[in-house]
Amino acid sequence: MEMKKFTRLSLLLALSVVLNIIESCIPLFNGYLPGLKIGLANIVILFILYCYSFKDALYVSILRVFLVGMVRTGLFSVAFFFSLGGAILSLYAMFCAKKFTRLSIVGVSIIGSIFHSIGQIISAMFLVNSSAIVFYLPWLLLFSIPTGILTGMISKQMMESFKDLNEIGVSLY
Amino acid sequence: MNKSDFALIGFLIVIISLIFILLYFGNNKKVSNAIVYYEDKEILKIDLSKDKIYTVKGYNGDVRIKVKNKKIKVLKEDSPLHLCSKQGYISKSYESIICLPNKIVIKLENNSDIDVIAG
Repeated sequence: MEMKKFTRLSLLLALSVVLNIIESCIPLFNGYLPGLKIGLANIVILFILYCYSFKDALYVSILRVFLVGMVRTGLFSVAFFFSLGGAILSLYAMFCAKKFTRLSIVGVSIIGSIFHSIGQIISAMFLVNSSAIVFYLPWLLLFSIPTGILTGMISKQMMESFKDLNEIGVSLY
Repeated sequence: MNKSDFALIGFLIVIISLIFILLYFGNNKKVSNAIVYYEDKEILKIDLSKDKIYTVKGYNGDVRIKVKNKKIKVLKEDSPLHLCSKQGYISKSYESIICLPNKIVIKLENNSDIDVIAG
């Protein structure tokens, strides 16, 4: 990998880890819907998917889950497998949505958010061996739409800002 | 945002409402029993008509379950966030208490099919 790109992807990876830690400090509904997050780290993953490639986004996404696991939740804990399942499924879904549909970045972000919830529920079903957890899915899906729109819009703004920097000669990607 | 984004949001709202209706109104029956599972194995069957406190072994230690007025809740358990004891009482067939750290799942069911025939 080219050194410049490697450094930038590392910085973006660090950014996504920090966003992940910040969002875990924001309580939503006082913890009554565990697993519900804004998905701020998805801003970075979307950015990489659009400005670099699917492969780079996959590397950063998986490394992010491992790093957050090491720093916060503990490697190979329950929360770790939730994140891993959600992250991988949502990234594949976003890649397909970007490639095969006419959705804008906001729509792709909503798809990612929806499939993150589905991935979490699927890994939870494997871990608990129970289908009762499915009753939790519609609640997560309901909140996926606004959070998906939010992260999509921030990601779009981020891409536009980087484009402006490119025009004045500071090449960032 | 373009047209297909709005179409996607509309489509998703319809699908999610359908899931809500199917899951929550599709099986709203009376319950008489609670079943406690540990790692998918049934370990305790609780009769909801008797008010009592039960103790089962979870992954992190004992889990205390309280039954009162045909409702059931987790009183005390050992987990990082105490989500299942915060959840409070449940009483409907679609509700369940899931305690991931303790690998305990409590489901509610109606054991007598006679009720269905009579009803």
